[in-house]
Parts: sequence; C-alpha cells; structure tokens
Amino acid sequence: MGAVLGAGHQFGEALVPVIIGIVIDRAVSDGDGRALFGWLAVLAVVYVGLSLSFRFGARAGERAAEQAAHDLRITLVRRVLDPGGGAERGHLPGELANIATEDAKRVGAVNMAVMTGISALTGLLVSAVALLRISVPLGLVVLLGTPVLLWLGHLLSKPLERRSEAEQEGAAYASGIAADLVAGLRVLKGIGAQAAAVERYRRTSRASLAATVRAARAEAWQSGVVLTLTGVFIALVALIGGRLAAAGDITLGQLVSAVGLALFLLGPLEVFAWVNAEFAQGRASAGRIAAVLAAEPDVLPGERALPEPVLGGLRLRGVTLGALREADLDVRPGELLGVASTDPAAAQALLACLGRTADPEAGVVELDGVPLPELDPARLRTAVLVAAHDADLFEGTLADNLGGAGDTDRALAAACADEVARALPQGTATEVTEGGRSLSGGQRQRVALARALVADRPVLVVHDPTTAVDAVTEARIAGGLREHRLGRTTLLVTNSPALLSVADRVVLLDGGRVAADGAHGDLVHGDPTYRTAVLA
Amino acid sequence: MTTASGSPARELLPTATPARTRAAVRELLRPHRALAAGGAVVMVAATTVGLLTQPLLGHIVDLVTERRPAGALTLPVVLLVLVAVAQGVATAFGMSLVSRLGETVLAELRERFVERALSLPLERLERAGSGDLNSRVTRDVSRVAEAVRTALPELVRSGLSIVLTLAALAVLDWRFLLAALLALPLQAHTARWYVRNATPLYAKERIATGAQQQQLLDTIGGAATVRAYRAEAGHTERVTERSRAAVDLTLRGVQLVLRFYSRLHVAEYTGLAAVLVTGFLLVRGGSASIGTATAAALYFHSLFGPVNTALVLLDDAQSATAALARLVGVVDEPAPAAADDARPQDVPGVPAVTVEGVGHAYVPGRPVLSDVDLVLRPKEKVALVGASGAGKTTLAKIVVGIHRPSSGRVEVGGGRPAETGRTVALVTQEVHVFSGPLADDLRLARPDATDEELREALERVGALGWAQALPEGLDTVVGDGGHRLTADRSQQLALARLVLADPPVAVLDEATAEAGSSGAGRLEEAAERALEGRTALVVAHRLSQAAAADRVVVMEEGRIAESGTHDELRAAGGPYAALWQAWAEHRSTPRP
Repeated sequence: MGAVLGAGHQFGEALVPVIIGIVIDRAVSDGDGRALFGWLAVLAVVYVGLSLSFRFGARAGERAAEQAAHDLRITLVRRVLDPGGGAERGHLPGELANIATEDAKRVGAVNMAVMTGISALTGLLVSAVALLRISVPLGLVVLLGTPVLLWLGHLLSKPLERRSEAEQEGAAYASGIAADLVAGLRVLKGIGAQAAAVERYRRTSRASLAATVRAARAEAWQSGVVLTLTGVFIALVALIGGRLAAAGDITLGQLVSAVGLALFLLGPLEVFAWVNAEFAQGRASAGRIAAVLAAEPDVLPGERALPEPVLGGLRLRGVTLGALREADLDVRPGELLGVASTDPAAAQALLACLGRTADPEAGVVELDGVPLPELDPARLRTAVLVAAHDADLFEGTLADNLGGAGDTDRALAAACADEVARALPQGTATEVTEGGRSLSGGQRQRVALARALVADRPVLVVHDPTTAVDAVTEARIAGGLREHRLGRTTLLVTNSPALLSVADRVVLLDGGRVAADGAHGDLVHGDPTYRTAVLA
Repeated sequence: MTTASGSPARELLPTATPARTRAAVRELLRPHRALAAGGAVVMVAATTVGLLTQPLLGHIVDLVTERRPAGALTLPVVLLVLVAVAQGVATAFGMSLVSRLGETVLAELRERFVERALSLPLERLERAGSGDLNSRVTRDVSRVAEAVRTALPELVRSGLSIVLTLAALAVLDWRFLLAALLALPLQAHTARWYVRNATPLYAKERIATGAQQQQLLDTIGGAATVRAYRAEAGHTERVTERSRAAVDLTLRGVQLVLRFYSRLHVAEYTGLAAVLVTGFLLVRGGSASIGTATAAALYFHSLFGPVNTALVLLDDAQSATAALARLVGVVDEPAPAAADDARPQDVPGVPAVTVEGVGHAYVPGRPVLSDVDLVLRPKEKVALVGASGAGKTTLAKIVVGIHRPSSGRVEVGGGRPAETGRTVALVTQEVHVFSGPLADDLRLARPDATDEELREALERVGALGWAQALPEGLDTVVGDGGHRLTADRSQQLALARLVLADPPVAVLDEATAEAGSSGAGRLEEAAERALEGRTALVVAHRLSQAAAADRVVVMEEGRIAESGTHDELRAAGGPYAALWQAWAEHRSTPRP
C-alpha cells in the first residue's frame, strides 16, 4: 500500500512539470488569463493529491521499516539467548547491542528504500509516458537512456559497498574499544592508566577516521559521476526536443514540459542512487546480522525427555574437556558434594559440562542415567542449575532479581542476603542498577546465591559463592546452604574449607580427574595435595 | 565497595547549553579553517556552475521561439554537457573536502570525549550509572557521525542551491524573486511549528532508545546467566517492550515529519503559482521573454528538492545537536581538581599514609565511617578486616582518593590523594580484561614497557607460565571478543599491571576474592610479591592475608575496633580472635 501511495505521489510530482509546460504554452505565450487560472486550479488539485498520497505512503513505508527493525532486534536477542549458546562468540556485548540497534535499523530501512524505489520508478514511467505522448523519439531516449544510467550507477556503487562495509566495521570496532575502556574504567583509574588508554583509543579512532574519509571520498565521487551523467542526459533530451520543436513536430509548451520532465527525472534517478547505496549498507548490515543468527551453537539440543521425577543422580565417565582428563565421578541423588580442585580450569570445565554450555570432547555425563547431550539444554536447565561465580545481576528490583516464584524469604535467610535487603532503603523492592553495581561485591554474591536457591532446581551446582564475604558470614552461609538444600543434589565447587566442611563428601580434582574422595576432615589430615589446595 | 547506605539517586552527566555547544564546535573547527574555506569555495563554484543549466534551457526555448535553424541548438547543448561535467567534478571534489572536514572534527570530538570520560571522577560516574556514559559513547557518537556523514554535505549543498537559485531568479527579474519569496513566510512558519513540536518528542524518543540500549546491554552482557536461569522469555519480553516503546515514539516522530511535509507542499504550490502568474504578467507586459519565464519556472521548480532537503535536515540536525550537546557536556566536565592541595606525585621515595579523624556518609545522617585514625608507615603492610558493611571498602576508597571524606583528613606523603593511581594504586575484586592483545593490556599500565619487562611482571605474579602457553603467547587477543581468561588469571593480570605501574602505595580491596577459592592461595602469593617494597593497605576476607601482614586493623560498624599484629590480636581475645577462630575452625590443622 505504501508503494501504491508513494507511486501516486510521484505521479503527481511528474505531472507538475507537464502542467508548467501547459501553462507556458496556453497561458503565458498566448496571454490567456482564463487559461492561466484554469490550469493553476488543476495544479492545485494535483498538489492536494500528491501531498496526501505522500503522507500516507511514507507513513506506511516507515512503519514497515521500523517494524522490520524491531522484529530483527527481537530475533537477534532470541538467538543470543538461545539455550544452545554460541552467538556471543567473538563479539563484545556492546558490539552485539549495536548490531541489534544500528544494523537492524539499516536492514529495516531497506523496506523504505524499496518503497521509495518503486515510487521513483512510477515517477519515471509517468514521465516516460508523458514524453512518449509528446514525441515518440524523445520518449524512447528517456526509456532507453535511464536503464543505461541506472546500470552505470549500480556499477559505481559496487566499490562503495565494499568500502561501506569496511568503514562500518571500523566504526563498530572503534566504538567497541571505547565501550570496553569505559567498562574497565575503574580498573584503569586504579592503576592510573587513563592516559595510556586515551592514547590507545586515539590510535583506533585515527585508523577508523582514515577508513571513513576514504569511504566518504568514494561516495562523493560516485554522486559526482551520477550528477554528470544526468546532466549529459538532460542535454541530450534538450537537443532532441529542441530540434523537434524547431521542426514544428512539438509545440513550445511541450518542449518546456519535456525539459521540465528531464529535470524532474533527476529526482527519481538520484533516488535510485540513494536506494542503491541504502541497499549496499543494508546488505552489509544484513550480513553481520546473519552471521550472528547463523553462529554455530555451543551445544546441540537432544530429543529425550527429562526423567520424571528428576532424582538428581549424576554420573561422569571418562569425561575429557579443557583441563578435565578422562574424569569419573558419581553423585548420589540428594547428596551434598564438595568439589575442590587444584586447577581452576578443571572446575570450570566441570561446570561447563554440567550446565551444558559445552559438551565433553570424550566421555559421558548422565543425569539419572540419561546422557546430557540427548537432552535439550533448555529442558536440562529446568533440572540442573549451574550458579556461576561471575553470574550477573540485572537492572530491576532486588525481588525481580530473585525471580520471585519460590520461597524467597527462606532463600534470602539461607544465603545471609536478608541482611543485605535490610540494609537497603526499600528492602527487596530497592532498584538494583545494571549489573548489580550499586551493591558491594559481598552483597551481590549473597543476592546471587539467594537467587540460585529460589530457583529451587533438583540439582544445584554452586561455584565459589562466598569469596567476597567475611569468615563469620561464610560459616553461616555454609550452614544455611546445607539446610536449604537438604535431600536434594547439590555440588559445591569451591576450595573454601568453610563450605567443604559441611559437605557429605568431598572430591578433589587434580590432574584433570578425581584424585581423592572422602570427608573434608579426613582429607585435610590424610591428603597433602588436598590440604595444600584448600588451606593454602 | 559498600554503598549499602542506599540506592544511589541517578544524576546523569551534564548536557551542554546550545551556546556552549556552538562554541565547542567553533573551537574544533578553528585548526581546519583552510580546509573549511577550500570546501566552501569549491561547493559555491559547483552550485553556481549547476545554475547555468536553466538559463541554457531557457535559451534553447528562445531559439526555438525565434525559429532559428536547428543547428543553432548545438552550442547551448554542448555548453549543457560542459556544465554537467564541471558540476559533477566540482561537486565530488567539494563534497569530499566537506566530508573530510566533518569527519576529522568528529574524530577529534570523540577522542576528546573518551579522554574526558576516562578522567571523570569515579564517584561522579557511579552517580550517573554506566549506561549513561555508554549510551553517549556509542549512540550519541554515532548519531553525530551520521549527521556529519550524510546531513552535513547535503545541508551545505542544499543551502548553497537555495541561496544561489534565489539570486539567479533575481538576476532574471527581481519580480520573480518577490514571487518566489511569497512561499517564504509559509515555510518559516512551518519550520517553527515543526521544531516546537519535534523537540519534546525527540527528547522522549532519545530516552526510550537509551532505555532500549541499556536493556540490550544488560540482557546480552548477562546472556549466560539468563540461560542458566531459564529467564529467556522474561528478558525477551523486556527487550520487546522497550524496543516497542522506542519504535512507537519513532513512528510518532515520522507522523510529525509527514504533517510537516504536507504544509510544505502548500508553500510550494503558492510559490509556483506566484512565479507562473508573474511570468504571465511580465511576458504580457513585454518585459520578459518566454525563455526567461521558462527559466524562472524551472528555477523555482528545481528549488523544491533543496528546500525540502534543507528543512528535513532540520530533523537530523536537531537530533544530532542534542547528541552533540550530550558529548560536549562530558567534554566540558571540569577535570578532577587535584591542584588545590600539594600533589603527592611529587613526593620522592615511599610515602607514609595518614588518616586522621575521618568520617564519611554517602547519605547524610547515615555515617559509614566515623572517627577513623590510621597511620601506615612507609613500606608497612596493613590488613583491614571486618564483617561486610563495616566500612572497609569506603576507607580504602578514601585513601585512594575516590571519595573525599565528609570530615577529617587523609594524607599520602603529605598531600591529599588525587584520583590518579600513579602514587596510590587500587586493585579491586572487579576484574576487567581489556580486549586486544595481552601485551597491550599490560602496557596500559606502562606504555613504554619492553617485552622483557612484561615477562618479568608476569613472572613476579606467577602468570608467565600460562601467558606464554596461550595460543599466540603475549600477542593472544584476550578480553570480551577474544580468549576468555579465568577469573584468577584475570586477577593475576591486574596484579601484573600493578607491578608495571609501580606505585609507591597500593590498596588491594579483596583483590584475591573474585578469583574464587581455588586460586586464592596462589593469588595471595602473587599479591604479596606485587606489594613488595610498597606501602600497602589490604582489605582482606581471607584471614591468611591478615596473618601475613605487618599489622591488622579490625573494623566494626565504621570504626576501628582494634589494631595490632596478628599474634597480639589473637592473644587479646577481642573481635579478631573471634574471627580467626571462625576461620580456622574448618581448617583442622591450624596454621602455625
């Protein structure tokens, strides 16, 4: 509909020069006042028509563009959040956010460009018909000449496309670096490295400037060439039209219309050039969006359903991933197991396997006898929660962050986060700024732990939940955790003795496999490696 | 970092006034006057040449009217071709000059912006929220860039076209100019109406898109957590909501623009009719040829494009100006005042740190610190322990100079600590690995460090082994877009930076905490070595760190509860002894 209305607008715009010609012909050169006012009235009608169709046509086009950008944005966010993961690989968060806004917008704008292109084409056709009616040879010149012009314009926009791509990538990189430096601001200031950071940004910015200037120059020359070609084309129309008029084949007014139409054609032709450039940028943006959407997922979903009910037994056999080397481990349903490790990377790999953010290179991980790769990761995570050490809090109230569904008060108390809530002006209704940065490290950690408890999964894996809290609070949390998770499978992946000492059983990961297995107290006495790992 | 005192009221970074924004742009342009003048001259020439088209066409009409032979048309047609070529070349040249000018000025602006942003006091940033600065550094910069890239050259071109076309109309006959100017009041009124309505609408739109950006960063940055908690639906919904709100406001803006266009059409018609009537009267009165009337009508018709372009660019200019004001607002933030006291930078050797009667409150009436006295002798290592919320982090921030105490006095080597990090460095539990090669990350701390010095620093914090084992050694791209380092490696990196920055005084705030428990022991050793030879204040949760310090200071509810060596305090039976017992309980073989 937008295209139809847009076409109506261009139709009107094309009629304007025709009417100017008629006015010159019938009124100005004959001195006929009544004809003048009659045709001015016609002109007024044409204006009303073109104005209205433009208004509603463009509205439809913009709506389509914005809607498309919105849809793309949401699709991208869905892909990033897809349980299979993998979309963030190789991108800064700021860069991805940029793709979801700027690039989505550019692709959406292609809608508008298509509409504008179609209406410009209509304008072109109307002019051609008018010209053909004035004179067949003249009309033919326009009809045959414009495709040649268009083709030349397209040829010229090819290198622009490549440059535009490079330029936008450079700009995205520069803005990514700026956002990265701003994100690490506290660290920079801590060691007085602002000057060095500014220097580094300046270099990035200069490189990006050089690329942009090159692209702008290419663009300027492209439009210069289009301008020249169009001018030559108009000269040609004037030449043929003038000769026809001189020979008396067409009237003076028709000559004026023809020249006016040829000038008007500049408009649609420039629109074509713009549409071309818009397409070029849209393609580059679409490429970046497609790359994110098509990113290889980290894990593939399986078909099997979760066992009903989930008992929470875990079994690892010969698991190799990262620092894990053919590790075997059994966790009984309902057990509270401590996992200490001499190499943080081994703990990290274990967490990845259990949360299925990565699948083992070799070996199997089973939940109640079902190999994890046969489960959909989304389904798995309703049974197994891996509460990462560096888990993020989100903007919203403390209560929003907790997720709300379960028994929040009990969870808050168990994680000693109730005192965090009490210290805040509006308790759990207090707004937490992005990333939970308005809370201290210890507060954030306790809120995150409470959130993990509220989620109330049959299997909970917590990674170092107490590194930022003091010893007294840590001991209370250890007790609270144990009581809260009583009877449900819980893994405490940590080297903290306070936590390990409340576990039913503790294993030690060393050399990529389970090297020791027993009660915390026994291992501290009996296993020197364990003692070094947890008491160092 | 304890800001338990309350939810921080958002206080956004400043926005510059229009006058200040203009002045800032003039300042940026000044060094490029020659380029600006060159661009202007070339663009004027290009436009002037282009304006020869209509009289040439009018001339052809006259030739036909006078029934000249067809051969007489050749000359004006050849001239038309020459005009086209000259106009094309001059426009291309002029536009590239204008773009280069705009882009260069833009680059300088964004560099100044980043420079000033990085020197903003942390206290100020925390009040503004990181989203504010982030949206300025991404969205506002790109909005201004977009305007410079597309709007600026077009505006220059259209503006020149309008002025010179009107001049050309006057040259044909001054009465044509009068007729054309009939449209002017209508256009001016329309433009005013538009700006009046658009300003508040665009302000709302910017806020909505800012909220959308914030949500995207929040959701995408925390994607792993979102997935773990199966919160995908909720987050998608939040993004959808904010995106929808932004889109709705954008569309309302579009509607406004379109109503604006409708009004412009009225002006267009008025002017065109007036020019045609004028032509009619002049030709009838014999004071103009038909060719002249034709040229005038064609001139006016050819004005539509540039006038519309220029008025529409008001739109881009508006939003770009608003974005620019937000950038200039940050650029104009006063540099942190460090000059009012003696600069500790000038102190030779390793200084002492004196804290005298310091009290602090984030929110008046809710003191976080009261009456703290503490002296760190040169090269003394003091551990600060106490329950969460006891004020340890606040004290650390005051010593570093991030906060100025509400009362009392802090001196480092006889001067007030400035937030520079060169004399007093701060390493916190907040780890950030800067994206780029590992060596570049380290060189942020000492830009002229040799590879050998980098290796030494890594060696000292026990990180050389894994760093060299990375796929491309020290050239491996790390950070967000590259090789992800584990938390304890990131923290080792932070300590290596500290070694390279080599400040005489260092404050470690739970710097070994974020790493997780399994790496903590190793990190403590690394921290120990990184602190050698410095005056150090260490905020510690792991009491093993306290045991290794020269002196332990225990804080309770914003006050110093006790102070002494590890052994003294253990024997004293006070709060530290209690803490130590809780800590040692789970370590069945107590430390010696």
